[in-house]
Amino acid sequence: MTTVNVSNSLNGLSLMGILDTKVGNSIQNLQNLNSRAPRALSLPEYGPSQRSSALEDSHSLKSVDSGIPTLEIGNPEPVHCSVLNVKRKQSESEIMPERTFQSACMLLSYVPPLSLDAEHEHSVRKSSTFPRTGYDTVKLYSPTSKALNRSDDISVCSVSSLSTELSTTLSVSNEDILDFMVTSSSSAIVTLETDEVQFSDVALNSTKETNDQSQQEYCQEADVDSKLKILGPFSSFFARNLFTRKQNTRLEKQNDLSWKLFGKVPLRENSQKDPKRTQKEYEEKTGRAHKPLSPKQNVRKNLDFEPLSTTALILEDRPANLPAKPAEEAQKHRQQYEEMVVQAKKRELKEAQRRKKQLEERCRLEESIGNAVLIWNNDILPNWETMCCSRKVRELWWQGIPPSVRGKVWSLAIGNELNITHELYDICLSRAKERWRSLSTGGSEGECEDAGFSAADREASLELIKLDISRTFPNLCIFQQGGPYHDTLHSILGAYTCYRPDVGYVQGMSFIAAVLILNLDTADAFIAFSNLLNKPCQMAFFRVDHGLMLTYFAAFEVFFEENLPKLFAHFKKNNLTPDIYLIDWIFTLYSKSLPLDLACRVWDVFCRDGEEFLFRTALGILRLFEDILTKMDFIHIAQFLTKLPEDLPSEEFFTSIAAIQMQSRNKKWAQVLVALQKDNREVERGSPSLKH
Amino acid sequence: MEAIWLYQFRLIVIGDSTVGKSCLIRRFTEGRFAQVSDPTVGVDFFSRLVEIEPGKRIKLQIWDTAGQERFRSITRAYYRNSVGGLLLFDITNRRSFQNVHEWLEETKVHVQPYQIVFILVGHKCDLDTQRQVTRHEAEKLAAAYGMKYIETSARDAINVEKAFTDLTRDIYELVKRGEISIQEGWEGVKSGFVPNVVHSSEEVVKSDRRCLC
Repeated sequence: MTTVNVSNSLNGLSLMGILDTKVGNSIQNLQNLNSRAPRALSLPEYGPSQRSSALEDSHSLKSVDSGIPTLEIGNPEPVHCSVLNVKRKQSESEIMPERTFQSACMLLSYVPPLSLDAEHEHSVRKSSTFPRTGYDTVKLYSPTSKALNRSDDISVCSVSSLSTELSTTLSVSNEDILDFMVTSSSSAIVTLETDEVQFSDVALNSTKETNDQSQQEYCQEADVDSKLKILGPFSSFFARNLFTRKQNTRLEKQNDLSWKLFGKVPLRENSQKDPKRTQKEYEEKTGRAHKPLSPKQNVRKNLDFEPLSTTALILEDRPANLPAKPAEEAQKHRQQYEEMVVQAKKRELKEAQRRKKQLEERCRLEESIGNAVLIWNNDILPNWETMCCSRKVRELWWQGIPPSVRGKVWSLAIGNELNITHELYDICLSRAKERWRSLSTGGSEGECEDAGFSAADREASLELIKLDISRTFPNLCIFQQGGPYHDTLHSILGAYTCYRPDVGYVQGMSFIAAVLILNLDTADAFIAFSNLLNKPCQMAFFRVDHGLMLTYFAAFEVFFEENLPKLFAHFKKNNLTPDIYLIDWIFTLYSKSLPLDLACRVWDVFCRDGEEFLFRTALGILRLFEDILTKMDFIHIAQFLTKLPEDLPSEEFFTSIAAIQMQSRNKKWAQVLVALQKDNREVERGSPSLKH
Repeated sequence: MEAIWLYQFRLIVIGDSTVGKSCLIRRFTEGRFAQVSDPTVGVDFFSRLVEIEPGKRIKLQIWDTAGQERFRSITRAYYRNSVGGLLLFDITNRRSFQNVHEWLEETKVHVQPYQIVFILVGHKCDLDTQRQVTRHEAEKLAAAYGMKYIETSARDAINVEKAFTDLTRDIYELVKRGEISIQEGWEGVKSGFVPNVVHSSEEVVKSDRRCLC
């Protein structure tokens, strides 16, 4: 285990990445580091073997392609972050949440020359052996774009699971960094605090607080801002290097006894700017309002960084106590620096073009949605009975129902066979509330309406509903306690248990109800919910009717074999039965497994085509990933399918589904199902597929 | 590229809904704790390699089950092919402890004719102030069923590794002694590719082992 040596023998030289304690080596390190300058500070595994690597070393910043040499202490563990984009509906102010996924990028991981404190038992197996600050993994999302507006998108920031890993990666969406790079022209200077004490404070604070607050931070804009503030300077840090170079040379020369990077030596006085002032400057320049600091920000405040000492490091002379650079080397460095600048500029340009294209696409899309809304509202909905089966409507339907019209279409398509009225809903709800009250006051057992349900069961159900609600779409922050839809969800689920005591509450329902709530008013959502669950497939699954479930799986396998014979064989060989992946998908109607916007589109067509579409979608997923699935073994397939990638491309996805033919030997889904049901009744049940 | 492992054990994690099964597993396999996460619907899958002795690695295939009673008829089908199990209850939830008995009875029925090694886990031990189950009575129950007992906390990362590695070690001992063996058609224990490592009971072990020759 290598330890960082804050070497005293080297005149205040405390560089990260110096692994050897021998002075001689250190000098050598320095020389090598000098030639690799800003990229020098690397993790043990990179260090020694990288001494002679060229500057084009791919180890540095993997996704932030500034091309500018920066200090990088990379945590090899990539961290994923997801972005919550909240699109404003065109006609309404209601928010339709959708989830997009942006890959993680590893920015600076800061590692102080301190021993790690607060090392818990949890010591995660890390590939790096460096001590870390308390700069925990922070997953950042797109900034609340009050100032940064990209067409109609409002991005909601949230910070997810800050762990006690004590890893120091900042994950940020690429787009946002580049936003800063391209648009901002400020020269924000971030000051690097090198005070030891402060760092340990930070470490302790973050460790303690993260776990408690990880989820609350989803909803705290202030926090987000604070993190963005750090990010902001960070990201501008990469770009700003270009502009602050001149300043750097001047300042660097003033104190050349040591490399004041992360060392114990305090920074040169004259380069120190009040961090607050710096941030303010930056914010003014980017036009973002200065938000009041939250308590948590105080933690982060300490970690301002100063790029001056590292900007265009490669061009600097070595400290006086070292032999100077030979002329050729200096020349080489200049050239390399030029190249980097050129490349950085190229990249920025490319990014800008890409953004422009994206923007155009978005505008086009919104326009088409606008048109669709008109058609739906003016032509289709008023004449639902006659129009709903026409080919044109069905095609339009496939494209995806515009969010503002979605609820209505779903309501109409699901229908109300059960003839539930708003009044009935109110009755069920009040009964549910009564029951909750009586249960919580340790009350009655004599509820004869709830046939077959003991008080314990009911209580468990009630408890479970409460707990599940707060676990439903947590990153949307709307169903949790105190959220706008918490009570609505609670009401619908509770009322349903009164309405259908024979079914009760089953996990998975909360997701279905939640999606309906996002699209319909409460009573209508309840009606849709009840009718939806009453469909044969849903009933079979939620009541866990084994026989029926097996029939559905068997029918599914018929079409699976028909459409994807190779994959089918592979699954069979690996004993991968449908229940492994279908249960989650069918129970939650994909609302847990797919990004919300995709799930809604699946629901759209499910409303059009019925249960068959659920299984067709399943096959579509398998088909989309057929290539990689064929190469996986049981556990990996199982893991993959139960946790689908969040960046599923929607058009490809629907194309894949469209390619699935729900026809086997001239029989359609319904026929196959019926035939199998008959078979099952005759044959003794061996339950092969649920045997694991 | 797969690391070389001696055996693969399939473990199943069972217990009442919301006791913290998914959290415990995530802490173990991903090293993180999420305050809020989705309820498990059906089964979730995880895996991790553990080194129980220097050079001896076991691959763990972990099945995370939905705890709600309704799902039991689905998940009970999975006991049969598991060699080990973590039975979780929440020390702040007395009912979840009372249900341990039921879980075990059910497992007994459905694991036949194979066997499964359980460890009883009292989870959320960081919430000691809200404790509703004493360590003593839990230990007593565990002993009555021939299980070990351990208290864990995914949030504070207490005993998480230990719970899994203890169980793995116990199973490994049984496998070494030949009391549990690899069987055709049984997924509980699978053999990995082991070029040079030999221990005594291996003479008995069969052609199941993949060989590169």
